[in-house]
Amino acid sequence: MINTKELEKRWYKYKTKGMLLVASILTLLSLLIYGGYYILYKLDINIGKKEEPKAVMSIKKVKEKNSSIVSKPNVSDVLLLPTIPIIDLEKEKLKDSRAKKRTIEYNIAKKRHQPHHHYTHKTKLVKAKVSTYLTPRELSTINGEKKRLNFQRTGNNYMSIMKEKFEQNKNPRDALLIAKAYYNAGNYKQAEKWSLKANNLNSNLDESWLIFAKSKDKMGKRREALKILIAYYNKSKSYKIKALINKMKSKSI
Amino acid sequence: MKRSKYSDIKNIFIDTVDKDSFVELESTAFNYQILEESLDKPLKMILLFGRPGTGKSMILNRLYHNLKASREIHYFEAPILSEKEFLRNIYESISSQRIPKNMRVNFDGLLKYCQNLRGQREVMFLLDECQLYSEALMEKIRLLSDTRVVKFVITLHKTENEDIIAKEHFKTRIWEVIELKNADIQDLEIYIQKKLFQKGFVEVSNMITKRDIKFIHACTKGNFRESNKLLYTIFNIYEYYDLYQPKKIEKKTTLSKKILEMAAIKIGYIHD
Repeated sequence: MINTKELEKRWYKYKTKGMLLVASILTLLSLLIYGGYYILYKLDINIGKKEEPKAVMSIKKVKEKNSSIVSKPNVSDVLLLPTIPIIDLEKEKLKDSRAKKRTIEYNIAKKRHQPHHHYTHKTKLVKAKVSTYLTPRELSTINGEKKRLNFQRTGNNYMSIMKEKFEQNKNPRDALLIAKAYYNAGNYKQAEKWSLKANNLNSNLDESWLIFAKSKDKMGKRREALKILIAYYNKSKSYKIKALINKMKSKSI
Repeated sequence: MKRSKYSDIKNIFIDTVDKDSFVELESTAFNYQILEESLDKPLKMILLFGRPGTGKSMILNRLYHNLKASREIHYFEAPILSEKEFLRNIYESISSQRIPKNMRVNFDGLLKYCQNLRGQREVMFLLDECQLYSEALMEKIRLLSDTRVVKFVITLHKTENEDIIAKEHFKTRIWEVIELKNADIQDLEIYIQKKLFQKGFVEVSNMITKRDIKFIHACTKGNFRESNKLLYTIFNIYEYYDLYQPKKIEKKTTLSKKILEMAAIKIGYIHD
């Protein structure tokens, strides 16, 4: 006869093992299913949740950027806003046209008030030193041949106008211009005279010294001219004077 | 002393080579027919092989009982390993003479004796479990079959490691090879049912469901001997419960899965 008691024990052990195996397989399956569910759904939801603040941030950024254009949205608007901010294009166009108008008006006003602005400018102005040299225009009238032709054509008128002007203003520059015109015309005596006048009014004008010395030189008084130039050079240390001194010296040699 | 109906049922499945317990299945009937036809052919040797428990001995036994009246047929149920004894048995079977114990059969003399009988007689020998015979003895069997007076039907176990058909002395001389295989689920179901029907246990046969057959087949791989062993153990447990704990098997119209599994644990098909 078979010993069923022992066999039953073994059978219970076998069944327990089987149940444990089934339970472990079911647990593993449920874990796999839950894992799959978590990956497929939960993770997506979490990503969505994480993106919400980004959306709010983007809305905030848009608000900040367009604070002058976009009006403040209500709390309900923020909550209902989707991840991508939607902007009303019609409103935007209207706002853009208004902004353009404002800029145009502002530019016009700016142009109008520019001189006024100039006067009202409070920054300190640096006072320009009075130039001892002739202006390029003045020089061109003296050095340029074409201008010389103009002088010749209108020479008498120019001299009389300049002399009248000098008599009125007593400006050493006018005297110097007259001296230069006479020098160019070959009237060295008048040139010497008017350069001296200019020099008397302003002894620091290099040109007056130059015209005076050159006129003296033309009139054959080179030694005297050199003496005057050297004396002035020792005082002024002007390179133009130095150059003329050297030129005269070389010519004399 | 109390006696259970399961005591008789379990005895049906005791592994015996008995012509009455032979169950004719489609596959076994086909193999038997081939074997019978082969005996009429001028073959020297016929090989019947298969795994242990596939019904080789049962077929040989049936063949012997079916043909012993019509043919000169001798069945060596158990292998005779001694060459001296084997030759003595062959000679005694052919000559129907008893040899004194102090004498032995000379093989050359036996060969000459068989050659003298050529054309007069055809004696058939059914040898079971031939894998146990020595090669020298197998060679002598071959030489005897060459006389065309003696015909051998031999059975061999088919093993995993050894391809017996490839053996030289079988390869050249065996003309008919019949392989027996394990039963499939359908054959196993018919086999169990027929076994129970033969002994009049129709009610018990109806208790066995297809699920039970599948379980038995999964355990035994359809091997008849193994199936008999399992079924014997199942009904042995039933017998115990019927005698000592009848409540455990009362009002059950099908076989208890628990008892099936217990039997499988007992034999070692499933491990606890």
